[in-house]
Amino acid sequence: MKLEIDESRCKGCNLCTMVCPYKIYRPGSRPNRKGIYIPELDRPERCPNCRLQELYGRRLCGVCALICPDQAIRWVPEKPYEPMKVVIEY
Amino acid sequence: MRDEWFRADRLPHIYCAGCGNGTIVNCVLEAVSMTGWDRKNTVFLSGIGCSSRAPGYILTDSLHTTHGRAIAFATGVKMADPSLHVVVFTGDGDLAAIGGNHFIHACRRNIDLTVVCMNNHIYGMTGGQGSPTTPLGKTSTTTPYGASETPFDLVDLAVAAGANYVARWTSFHVKQLTEAVLNGLNTPGFSLIEVRCQCPTSYGRRNKYREPVDYITHLKAHAILKDKWESMEKSGQDMPADSFPVGEFVRRARPVMGVPDEA
Ligand SMILES: Cc1ncc(C[n+]2csc(CCOP(=O)(O)OP(=O)(O)O)c2C)c(N)n1
Ligand code: SF4
Ligand code: SF4
Ligand SMILES: [Mg+2]
Repeated sequence: MKLEIDESRCKGCNLCTMVCPYKIYRPGSRPNRKGIYIPELDRPERCPNCRLQELYGRRLCGVCALICPDQAIRWVPEKPYEPMKVVIEY
Repeated sequence: MRDEWFRADRLPHIYCAGCGNGTIVNCVLEAVSMTGWDRKNTVFLSGIGCSSRAPGYILTDSLHTTHGRAIAFATGVKMADPSLHVVVFTGDGDLAAIGGNHFIHACRRNIDLTVVCMNNHIYGMTGGQGSPTTPLGKTSTTTPYGASETPFDLVDLAVAAGANYVARWTSFHVKQLTEAVLNGLNTPGFSLIEVRCQCPTSYGRRNKYREPVDYITHLKAHAILKDKWESMEKSGQDMPADSFPVGEFVRRARPVMGVPDEA
């Protein structure tokens, strides 16, 4: 699963940056088209929901999505993880 | 999942950036989705105010009524069809000022409703006038030199008036709040869940909590668990300024009204 902030909903309040135990959210540094500073995600794949939600069949932790007053945080299905092929050049 | 209860086509909602009301709607819908209730026989009601706009974002039948009268309408809905699950969203002004009488008498009758009060300490929608819960010394448009009247304690009020379930949390304590709402939904009789929350626009701006994070940080630092609060009281300690107890205050089984006969 992939962690996403829906830019059409986020109002840039930064509450998510307060609660994530992994400190995945950081206050945004550049305004978007609407002038909103959407938080930046720091290595979101560390979120247990990205890694384990499918295995456990339920949402884990999820405090960011619960506190987000604008229902902007979600996890979307991703294609199965494919290890990158390493091409060795001689 | 709570997503199935939201009217996604109505989102984003009109609340200001960082308004605590949005968080509380999340927690209430999360709790409602855990009950296994059917959307067809669940009804959300509200009065007037920012908080009272919440039912408009929910995919069930709802009544957005007149200021202060949400509980009166809810009583009607529940008595007409006790098999319905009835949840009320209300503000501190809606519940404790103009709707104060409906509130205490619904507690006295112990009618089977779950009432969630989004307490932002002011009248948010009309520009930030003081309410019966504005803390002493805090600024609002009607208390420009600081509020000088003692505020209501909504929890004490509901306990004294006879409600079966009473809890208080804040918009920071999302997991505990969700659990408290779930307990309220499952307790027959009147349930009040008071949620202290931020209104950055009308309350925060005038009281040095301009950013949403500022007031959430304040709530987090000043909420004291009920057990700790009571032991501090017993030992005669001075309570830290602006602090308040949070937790479950009452869960009891007084005679109720509006519960379908179990036959
Ligand atoms: C009978 C009546 N009186 C006054 C008003 C004006 N009014 C609208 S909202 C409101 C206060 C709302 O405060 P609260 O219930 O705390 O909700 P908040 O906006 O803070 O969430 C008032 C006084 C009204 N709409 N109807
Ligand atoms: S809590 Fe929600 S609205 Fe606020 S900054 Fe984070 S994603 Fe945006
Ligand atoms: S005025 Fe206050 S209560 Fe109303 S939407 Fe804005 S922040 Fe929320
Ligand atoms: Mg209010």
